[in-house]
Amino acid sequence: MPTNRHVVKEKVATYAAVLLDGAYEAGGQGVVLEVRDQLERILRITRSNMDLSGALEDSSYTPEQRETLARGVFAACNPILVDVLAVMAERGDMALLTRVWESYNDQLERKLNVSVVDVTTVVELDDHLRDLIVKKAEADLGTSVVLRERIDKSLLGGIRMSANGKRIDASVLTQLESARNVLKLSTDGGEC
Amino acid sequence: MKFEAKKASMRMGVAALAGTTMTCAFPALAFASEGEATGGISAILPDMAEFIPMLVIFILLWIVLAKFGWPKFEAMLDKREQTIKDSLEKSEAARIESERVLEEYKRQLEDAKSQAASIVADAKRTGEAVKADLTEKAQTEAAGMIEKARAAIETEKKAAIAELQGSVADASIAVASRLIGEDLNDDEHRKIIERYVNEAGSFNAN
Repeated sequence: MPTNRHVVKEKVATYAAVLLDGAYEAGGQGVVLEVRDQLERILRITRSNMDLSGALEDSSYTPEQRETLARGVFAACNPILVDVLAVMAERGDMALLTRVWESYNDQLERKLNVSVVDVTTVVELDDHLRDLIVKKAEADLGTSVVLRERIDKSLLGGIRMSANGKRIDASVLTQLESARNVLKLSTDGGEC
Repeated sequence: MKFEAKKASMRMGVAALAGTTMTCAFPALAFASEGEATGGISAILPDMAEFIPMLVIFILLWIVLAKFGWPKFEAMLDKREQTIKDSLEKSEAARIESERVLEEYKRQLEDAKSQAASIVADAKRTGEAVKADLTEKAQTEAAGMIEKARAAIETEKKAAIAELQGSVADASIAVASRLIGEDLNDDEHRKIIERYVNEAGSFNAN
């Protein structure tokens, strides 16, 4: 007899599989990656907007009202994604969105043998750096790699890469923070 | 004493009897002046007309006193003798008792003195012990306070050093951040990225 945890896990996997398969059938890997990006943005929005996330999970609304709300809010997204989000909202499963996103990435890697690597730098990458990063990531992850590039001046320099929950932080900001901690915690030479 | 009283009574009786006998035996002596004028020895001899009645009255008085007065007097003397004797016995007993009580008091006084001396000695010893204990406690507390003060000073010193280190570190990092952010151009940033990618660890290492 499956436990509630297994049921939820199956439910999350089903949502992710429907989303991935639908996106792939709709436009191949490009749409799959587009849906992934949109899903990631939606996650950021729902995490930062408590009113929206609360309304999508509010049991005082009817399922139809939650579905209508989800369709209205996410209307600009890919139709497959809008449909899945509407169903999740209707069933009161919007709290599972983070796990659906993780499962989506897992299935993306498993079914399409593609890993999405988020790369954050201070300046825009050139082709040489992209090749270098892709080769390193493919060597490490053992899959095809697609880069998602972001510019973040707060890094000060260097690079920050993350894929499937794994992270390489080689930014100047982090190194300076490490140096700051070392300087603060070190007592050598501090005694008078 | 009773014996002395009887003896005195007997002497009185003998004297009275001798007087009576002398009067009867030598009436000329008693009544010498009867036939003579009132001068000479008759001046000192009693008048027989007065002497006889007086003698009779004396004898009667003596008999009455010997019969009725003397027993009471003797009883009174006996009672007085007994009272004095009892008083003497009581006083003797009281003296003996007072001497015993005095001895008892003396003994108790000695005991009290010894007890007082013992109490004073105990108090002195206790006082010395308390004094030593208080001194030791005071020394211990003083040592603890000194140790705490030293620890507090050491803690403050370390905190000050840490704060100074933190300030220096913050200033150094701020300067470094500013220099890096302002001085590096895009190509230099890309070179840094390339170097970091080559030197960075693997995804699988995390």
